[in-house]
This record gives sequence, structure tokens and C-alpha cells, in this order.
Amino acid sequence: MIRWPFILHILGSLIICIGLCMLLPIAFSVYYWDGSALPLLYSAAITVSVGLLLYLVFRSRRAKGAISHREGMAITTAGWVAVCIFGGLPFYFSGVLPHLVDCIFETTSGFTTTGASVIRNVEIVAPGILFWRSLTHWLGGLGIVVLGLAILPFLGVGGMQLYKAEVPGPVVDKLKPRLKDTAMILWKVYVIFTVAETILLLLGGMNLLDALCHTFGTLATGGFSTKNASIGYYHSGYIDTVVTIFMLIGGINFALHFQLFRGKPLAMWRDPEFRFFMGFWLLLTLIIAVNCFGKTYDSFGKALQYASFTVASITTTTGFATGNFELWPPLSLCLLLLCMVVGGSVGSTGGSVKCMRVMIVIKHGYRELIRLIHPRAVVRLKLGNQAVPPEVFDGISGFIFLYLGLAAISMFLVAAVGVDLVTTFSAVLACIGNVGPGLGEVGPMDNYAGLPTFAKWVLTLDMLLGRLEIYTVIILLVPRFYKK
Amino acid sequence: MKIIIVGAGEVGFHFAEWLAQEKKEVVVIDINPEALRRVSDHLDVQVLHGSGSNPRVLDESGLKNADIILAVTDSDEVNLTACIFANVIAPAIQKIALIRNPDYTNYREALTRDILNIGLVINPEMEVVNSILRIMSAPEVEEVNDFVGGRIKMLGKILPPESPLNGLKLSQLPEKIERSRMTIAALVRDEALIIPKGKDTLRAGDFVYFVCKTQDIEEILRLFGKRTTPLKNILVVGGGNIGFPLVKELESRRLNVKLIEKDPQRCQTLSAKLNRTIVLQGFATDQKFLEQENIGYMDMVIAVTWDEEMNILSCLLAKRLGAKKTIARVNKVHYIPLVQAIGIDHIVSPRLSAINTLFPYLRRGKVISTVTIRGKAAEVLEAEALATSAIVGKPIRDLQFPKEALFLCIFRGAEVIIPSGNSVIEPEDRVLILSTGAVIPLVEQALMAKR
Repeated sequence: MIRWPFILHILGSLIICIGLCMLLPIAFSVYYWDGSALPLLYSAAITVSVGLLLYLVFRSRRAKGAISHREGMAITTAGWVAVCIFGGLPFYFSGVLPHLVDCIFETTSGFTTTGASVIRNVEIVAPGILFWRSLTHWLGGLGIVVLGLAILPFLGVGGMQLYKAEVPGPVVDKLKPRLKDTAMILWKVYVIFTVAETILLLLGGMNLLDALCHTFGTLATGGFSTKNASIGYYHSGYIDTVVTIFMLIGGINFALHFQLFRGKPLAMWRDPEFRFFMGFWLLLTLIIAVNCFGKTYDSFGKALQYASFTVASITTTTGFATGNFELWPPLSLCLLLLCMVVGGSVGSTGGSVKCMRVMIVIKHGYRELIRLIHPRAVVRLKLGNQAVPPEVFDGISGFIFLYLGLAAISMFLVAAVGVDLVTTFSAVLACIGNVGPGLGEVGPMDNYAGLPTFAKWVLTLDMLLGRLEIYTVIILLVPRFYKK
Repeated sequence: MKIIIVGAGEVGFHFAEWLAQEKKEVVVIDINPEALRRVSDHLDVQVLHGSGSNPRVLDESGLKNADIILAVTDSDEVNLTACIFANVIAPAIQKIALIRNPDYTNYREALTRDILNIGLVINPEMEVVNSILRIMSAPEVEEVNDFVGGRIKMLGKILPPESPLNGLKLSQLPEKIERSRMTIAALVRDEALIIPKGKDTLRAGDFVYFVCKTQDIEEILRLFGKRTTPLKNILVVGGGNIGFPLVKELESRRLNVKLIEKDPQRCQTLSAKLNRTIVLQGFATDQKFLEQENIGYMDMVIAVTWDEEMNILSCLLAKRLGAKKTIARVNKVHYIPLVQAIGIDHIVSPRLSAINTLFPYLRRGKVISTVTIRGKAAEVLEAEALATSAIVGKPIRDLQFPKEALFLCIFRGAEVIIPSGNSVIEPEDRVLILSTGAVIPLVEQALMAKR
């Protein structure tokens, strides 16, 4: 049974949280006196009022007891949709994006940490608005529900259902006996890294606004920049390196970072997914560097620098760029498409299919080969020393099927409105995987502004489905979900 | 000597049988009257019905006057509880417990010292695993025993006709290898055990027992003729509480291991816990199945299921299909000579392993370990020479020591001495003594402190 008033009540509290967050960028609006203070204030006022209304109207009927499995999914999906709509208000009121579809596209891209933009020239946008745009990355990176769990006391009971619905990955583990503590730990780790990267970027010569915006974009593996040329604007090896390292950090399971802070660095090294993730990054960096050397770049060091940054950026699904990788040879571009599909680790801020699922599918293939050689062999799927239960594998194969199915349908829809093949293909993969830049018309030096309105709607939906790992959203379309 | 045995199961029964033969005073406690009847019907021991973890029952058994308590039920927890109460009722008693669960093994130190003061923790399955690993350390040798924590080995091997030692007098042995590196301890010829003298000749077909340092094994085995290639492909049959820890160990040695287990459910568990091993579901007596898995290329087949007949059959079949060496787990002691006669290379038995570990505890004097050879025909004891013992301070030739016993080795600190008649044993030396069964009491007497 789904208690709708109860869901709206919780939704109200989430909306209030987001509304209050809109007040933060006003500090920059005032400092730069860019005229974005009022639009932000209006947006915050509207959002908080709507939130309060929902919160209060449905409070009396607030049911006691835990959140059920279905309610968890309904709250998560509805919460994300609401946040993506209300988060677009500042863009609308400030006049940066006059069309509804663009506002929602940009906000969804922000909260889902995709980083695909429809703003043609970001360097003329008011700093307050730019900060809000990057802040959506940071809030969406760990998840708005996880944020809610950390700060809203009443979500504790049955919060696991919410947590499962939002946190990506086939298996969800708690770091602490209490879920609230787990959420708090994740946020603490996140904040520590944010402070560290901001300081390092300030040392690299950025101003506070740019440093914060790029930090948000990096750790949330988002990709919004305050410059049209993204990180490439700075032409700084130091900044490239810092951003590369922190993108990789964002792509690693946060539970491992927590172990690291507790003084167990070996836990990270022993984790099979971490090894796969780093190995994948190293291997692709090398192949692409060799492939580009002599063709796009004349020194191997330079090829290595660009390749390592770009592979990290695409694999972690960040989407920053230091150069126009569309000029790379075809093999390298193909490999980048592969990176888009593989994605980050489970429990990280990265999106896409995720390393663990890819590993399990590869191992399953290998297992079938062993079975052909030894027909009587009993081989369990294992990750490290842990056997993967068959139901987890079923979940994964189902997920991959849905992922590919969704990608195929989206490609048909986007192509139907006349977008060219390379653009369609890469834009859909980049949006479902929450990567950001694709190839062709949506390449690293272009943006999504030129796409037809219908294509933008499709891609907006793809970003949301990709971020919530499809199941959580798609389940709401199944009629049986609503039956008692 | 009075001994209390808690548990009349397989291990308890066997201990009781063997201790009764040694003319010890034995009390067996068990909660199962059936098991007790079997004990009292066959053995000359006292039985007591009740739970071994019950302090009243323990007290009734005469624990206060006993020397040793053996807690050998099937339950680790009962064994531990029995030791706890033994500690309370008779703090001075020697406690020996059977503990199978490997999770307790990590706390062995705590069990033996701090909390319970248990003298010896026996895990029969692990003892079997260790003896299999010992056999594998020198696969072409028929018998292997370790002394001084593995630094010294006593090996038993049949002398092949092509060996350079064939036809050699023992007094000529130093021409082939220095006297300080190898001692021939005993020969078995025509089923009779011979304690060799200088004038005896080595003949092809002799079963030769010799003692050497572990690092010299390679060189000495060359004297016995051609070496075989090192083990690489291993097939283990049975993934139970012997098979699993064995495979786990073999896996860490980077050998190619296949494991056959008949229970599909167990296969799932094994496959989840093992990494490189190929777990196969099926019966090791299925010839087609074995051929499919290239049994002919196996360097060693180790059958350790619960079912000893199955183990014997699968080893025989494997041997016929071309496997090089076989090891079978056999429980019934009476089977052992039989099985070796039909061509299985090695036998392991949890009961014998458990007893061998227990042996030194029942010998008098400071005996550290003992090994029986040829059934009970002879025994090799590793013992510490007490300052007041009769063997200390005189050249060996002047000792009042039985002729059927032989000093094989003296360990002084890190030094290993192969003694001659002039050698003198010093206090705190460790000595390795071979003795025929008949003179064991005399040897024991010599090892004990003088009055």
C-alpha cells in the first residue's frame, strides 16, 4: 500500500531543503553585484513556500511507521522530479534560459551530475547563477535523499528503502549500524574532499568562485564549468593533475574512502572493483596516448597528459575537457564511447553501468567458457573473495538489458527529429551515463543548445533514469505498483 | 597412570583401545549408552554414563586422582566445557582437547596458555592435512616424518635396483655421503625390522628408514636413483573438512588443483570459497568423468571422502587410468596393510594422526614427539635429555642402553650431530631415539630422571 499523503509530506521537506540551498549563491550575487540576487531570492521563496505547503497540509495525516519498499521508490523518483523542476527557477527568473525545456534540462543535468549544458556562452552568465548551477552538481552527487537522511531526523525509520532506491549499485552496504550515521559519514567524506580540492585549486591560481564551481563539478563527477573551454581554459598542468586525481576519487566507492580515513588503506587495494577501475583507466590512457602520439599531439608526454585527463573525465562520467578530443583518431573516439558505458564504481558519484556490473558480466562470460571445457565444473561468480549470489546477477543482467533497451529507444526518438547519427548515438550514451559531452554536435567544444526541443525532453528523461538506475523510475510505470 | 576419556565416539574408542593395551587405567564418559556398551563390551576400561560437560559427572569419574583428561567428543563446545571444569576440579591435570572448528585454531595460544591451560589441542582433520602435505614434500618417498619442528626428517623408501647404494655395506656408506649428513635408522626386509650394523648390506627391495636434514633431501634422494618431476597437477576427491583445507593450502602453493565433490550444494560453497581450483561435481568412481578431466596427467590423486571404500576404489581407478601417485584416507586401521598391498601409495588416517599427536604425552620423561613405524614394531622418540637422566654425561658406548635402541641424532641448539660411540649427550640436548617396541619401557626409564 502506498500512503500518498505521507509521500507528499516527505516530499515537502525535501523541497524546503532545496529551497534553502538556493539562498547560498546569494553570497556571490552580492559580492559581484551581478543582479542575480533577486531571481535567486524569488526562486527560494517560491520553492520553500510550496515545500512548506505540502509539509503542513499533509502533516496531520502523517502516518506512523516505516517507509515501505514501494514508498521509498515513489518518494525518490518524485523527489528528484520535483527538485529538477524547482531547481530550474533561478535560470528562468534571471533570464539566462527563457524556455521551460532548457531550464529543466540544465537543472536535471546538474542534479544528475551529467554536466550537459544548453547555455551557449557561460562566461557572460551572472556568478550567482553559475554557482547555483554547480551547487546542483554537488547536492546531486551523493544524492538528495542521502542528504535528507543525514539532516532530516524523521527519515531514519525505514530510510533503508529510500537509500536503496537512490544509491547506485547492485548491492548496498551500510557503513554503520544506523543509516543516519552512514549518510553522515558519506557527507563528511564528501565535504573533506571538497575542502581539499578547493584549496588545491585556489593554490593553482583560480578565484574562489571558479575553484568552488570546478570542485563541485569534479567530486560530483558532474562537469559544469564556469568557462566555455572547460578546464582547458587554464592551460595549467597543475590544475589538470589536481582535477584528474579528484575525478578519480569521485569515481571510487566512498565506502573505500571511509576505510582509508579510518586507517585501513589496504581495504582499498584489496577491493576488486577499485583495481578494475584503476586498471581500466591506466590501460585506456596508455592505448589512447599511443594512438594519438604523432597524430594529434607531437610529444608523448603531452599525449599522455591529455589522454589521462580525458579518460578519467569520461570514465568517471565527469565530462570536463582540456582539449577538443573530437580531433583524436577514430580508435581513441571508440574507446571513449566504451568509457562512457563502463562508468565509475558502485557507491561513487560516478554514473553509467558501473565497473562492478561490467566485471560481473565479464566474469560470467569467462565462467561459461570454463563450463564448456569442464562440463561438470561448479563455478561460482566471485568478486574478490566474495561469491555473487545468483539473484544479484539476475538483477544485473536485467539492469543491463533495460539500460541497452532504454538507450536504443532514446536513440530512435532523438534520431526521429532529425539529429545526425554520431550526435544521436553519443548524446544518448552521454546522457544515460550522466557523462555530459558527446561527439559531433554535442562534442566537448559544443553544447546541447542546438538540439530540437523534443530531443532535449528525451535526453532529460534519460539523465534522470540513468541517475536513478532505471528500476526506481520505471517501476512507477508498472500498473501493479499501485495495486494494494 | 589414570586417564579420563570424554566421548566414546570413533576417536574416543580408539584412544581407549590403545591406552588399555598399554595397561593404563581408563575411564570413558559418554552420554550415549549405546556407544558406552560398545566400549565396555570390547575393552577393559571403566565406563560412566553422563555428559562430559557436566561437572558432577566429571567429579564422579575420579578426575581428582587422574593424570590426563582427553576431551574427544564430536562437539568442540562440550570438549572445551569439559576442560573448563577439569581446570576447576583438578587444576594440575593434563588436559587434551579435540577441537575441529578452524575458527578456534586462531585462538590456540589462548586456549593452551591463558584461559584453559589445555596441554594439547588436537584437530585430527588438520593433522591429516599436515601429513598429506608432508607426503607431498617428497612424493617419491613412501614415508615422511618431521622432527625438531621440521628441520630434521625421517624418510622411509624402498631401495630401487638401479640405486648406487644397492649392494653397499653400511660401513662403506661414508664413501657415498658424509657420515654427518645421513643415518640409516632401520631396514625392513621380508616383513622383519632390522636395526642395521656396519656389516649389514643394503639390498634392492629393502625398505630403508633414514634420518637427514631437511635441506639435504634432494641430494640424498639422488642416491636412491632417478628423481621424479615435481608435483604440478593434483586431483583431490572429497571437499569435506580434510579436502577443503588441503585444497586451500595447495591453491596457495600455485599448484593446478581439481576438486571432485559429489554433493552439489557443497560444491556451491566450495566454489565460493576457492579461487583457482576447479570444483567438479560428480563421483570419482565414474570412469568417463575421470577421463574427461584428464586423470592420466595427474601427478597425484588424493581421496579423502568420508567413505573409505570409495577412497580406495577411486585411487585404484585413477592409478589404472594413469595417475602417478595416490593417497587414500582410510579409517579402519586393519585395512592399512591391505590397501598398501593392492598398490595405493600412501594411506592417511585421522585416527592414527590424532593418536600420533597424543603419543608423546603418554610417554614418560620429557618426550616431545614420537612416531611409530611398521605398525608398532618400532618407535622413534624425540626427547629432551634431562640433567639427571642416565643418558647424560657419558660417551654413548658406555651407557646402560638397550642394544635394540639407537641414537639417531643429537640436537644441540642449532647444531645437528649424527652421533658415534664417542659422542656425549649434554643436558638440554634433544635426542632422536629409535627403539623396537619390546625395549620401549627400558628407553623410557633411561630418559627419566634418576632417583
